[in-house]
Amino acid sequence: MVTLLEVKDVYSGYGKIEVLHGVSIHIAPREIVCIIGPNGSGKSTLLKTIVGLIKPKKGSIRFFGSEISGKDPEEKVRMGISYIPQGRNIFPTLTVMENLEMGGTPLGDPSRIEMAIREIFERYPILNKRKKMKAGSLSGGEKQVLALARASMIKPKLILLDEPSLGLAPKVIDEMYRQINSINQEGATFLIVEQNARKALRLAHRAYVLDLGLNRLEDTGEGLLNNEEVKHLYLGR
Amino acid sequence: MTFLLQSIFNGLLAGCIYALFAMGLTLIYGVLNFVNFAHGELIMWGAYFLYLFMESPLGLPLPIALIPALCLTILLGLSMDRFAFKPLRQANRLTLLITALGLSFFLRNGAQLFWGAELRTYGFEIKRGWKIFNISITTNQIAIILTTLVCIAVVYLLLHRSRIGKSMRAVSDNLELARVAGINTRRTIRFAWIMSSSLACIGGILLALDTNLQPGMGMINLVKAFAAILLGGVGNIWGALLGGIVIGFAENLGVLIISTGYKDAIAFGIMVLLLLLKPPILYGSQD
Ligand SMILES: Nc1ncnc2c1ncn2[C@@H]1O[C@H](COP(=O)(O)OP(=O)(O)OP(=O)(O)O)[C@@H](O)[C@H]1O
Ligand SMILES: [Mg+2]
Repeated sequence: MVTLLEVKDVYSGYGKIEVLHGVSIHIAPREIVCIIGPNGSGKSTLLKTIVGLIKPKKGSIRFFGSEISGKDPEEKVRMGISYIPQGRNIFPTLTVMENLEMGGTPLGDPSRIEMAIREIFERYPILNKRKKMKAGSLSGGEKQVLALARASMIKPKLILLDEPSLGLAPKVIDEMYRQINSINQEGATFLIVEQNARKALRLAHRAYVLDLGLNRLEDTGEGLLNNEEVKHLYLGR
Repeated sequence: MTFLLQSIFNGLLAGCIYALFAMGLTLIYGVLNFVNFAHGELIMWGAYFLYLFMESPLGLPLPIALIPALCLTILLGLSMDRFAFKPLRQANRLTLLITALGLSFFLRNGAQLFWGAELRTYGFEIKRGWKIFNISITTNQIAIILTTLVCIAVVYLLLHRSRIGKSMRAVSDNLELARVAGINTRRTIRFAWIMSSSLACIGGILLALDTNLQPGMGMINLVKAFAAILLGGVGNIWGALLGGIVIGFAENLGVLIISTGYKDAIAFGIMVLLLLLKPPILYGSQD
C-alpha cells in the first residue's frame, strides 16, 4: 500500500512535558482519516507535531516517503501540507480577501494568488460577498468556511483539520462535512481530529482512537462507530 | 480664549509626535508581544543621528542628513532585536522587560557619554511664523504636522496595500497561523523593526525640532507613548495613533486646570489609571 503520511513511534510535547508517548498512524492518498479521543489525549499535539509547530523528541514522520520531522511549518506548507488549528484559525483583523491572500503566500506570484482566490470565490460565493469584511466579524460557520478556504489556497495534498465542528450548529456542521467530502473527491487527503466524533466517523475511511498520548484503537470509520467500547467511552452513550 | 486655542494647537502638535512614538511601539508589541521599553532610546538616538550629520564637520542640510540618520536608526533597531531580543524569543515577559530596561539604560548613558548631558538644538533660528486667530504658528510646527500626516499615510499604505505589511498584520493577529500559512515570519519581524525604528527616528527629530535634544528625551516620552497604546488598545495601530493625540490634548488642556508643572504627570496619571482599571472597551480590539 502507498502511504502519503507515515507517523512512526512519535514522542512529542511542550518543553519538559511529554504528551505523546510513541504514537503511530499512517494515511494513504485520498483517504479521510479521523482521530478521536477524550480531552487532553494529545490529538491537537499530534497535528502540531506533524505540521512542525513543535518538533518531535523521537520518532519519524514521513511524507511521500521522505523524512520531514525536522522541517519548519513554512517548508511543509510548500510541500503541500495545510493545517487548520483548533479555534483561532483565521486572521480576525484582516479582511476575508486578505485572509485568502495570506493563505496563498507559498504560491508567490500575485497573479497565481489572484487566480486561486477567483476559484475559491466560485466555490464559496458567500466569501465573495463578504470579501471586504473583517474576518473577525463573520458568523461561526462562515469563519470555518474561510479557514477551510484559506487552507485550500495552495491546493494541498494533505489537510490537517483540528475540530472543525467546534461550536457550530448541527446544520452548519453538516454543510462543513459536505465541503470536506467534496474537496476529498477532488483528490485532497484529510486528517481530521474530532471530539464529537459521530459525524466525522461516518465520513472517515479509517479512524484512530488516541488516549493519554497512546494509540488505543484503529479501525474503519464504520467499525469504530459500531464498536461497543467506543460507543460507551467516546460517543457518549 | 486665545490661550485656549493656543493650548489646543499645542495639544495637536504634541499629539502628532506622541502618535508617531506610540505607533512604533505598538507595531513591535503586535508582532512580538512585548513592550519595548528601549523604544525611547531609538527616538533619542534618531534625533542625535540627525544632529551628527547636520553639525560640523559634515554640516549636511536637513533633508540630506535625514537619510543616513534614518538608516542608522534602523540599523540600531535591527541590532537591538538581533542581539538582545531575538535570543529571548522563548523567554517570559519579565526577562524581556528587564532586558529592554537594561538596554534603555545602556543606550541612554551611551548618548550621554558621546554628547554630554547638555541641551542641544539643530541650530535653526526660531522664525517668527504666523499669527492665525491670535495663536502663533511657526514653520517648524507646520512641518511637524505635515510630516506626521505623511507618516500616517505611508504606514496606512504599507499595512493595507503591500504584501509584507499585510503579512505583518497577520503575524500580529496570530503568529502560529501565519507560520502555517507559509508566511516568512522572520522577515516580517525584521520589517516591523524597520517601520518601528523609522517612526521613532522621525518622531524624535520632530520632537527635537519642537523642543531640543537631550539624552533623557526618549525615556520621558516613552511614558506618553505607553499611555497612548494603553488608551488605544495594545497592538492596535490606529488606536495608538488616536491615543497619542488624546494624550497630547489631555496634557495641554490639563494645564488649564492644574499647574503647568504637572504637565508630564498627566500622561503618567492616565497610564496608571488605565493600568488599574483596564476597561474592556479599550482592550477590545484584539479579538
Ligand atoms: N502549549 C502548551 N503548553 C503546555 N502544555 C500543553 C500545551 N498545549 C497543550 N498542553 C497539554 O498537552 C496535553 C494534550 O493537549 P492537546 O491539546 O493535544 O489535547 P487534545 O486531545 O487536543 O484535547 P482537546 O480535545 O481538549 O482539544 C494536555 O494535557 C494539555 O494540558
Ligand atoms: Mg485539541
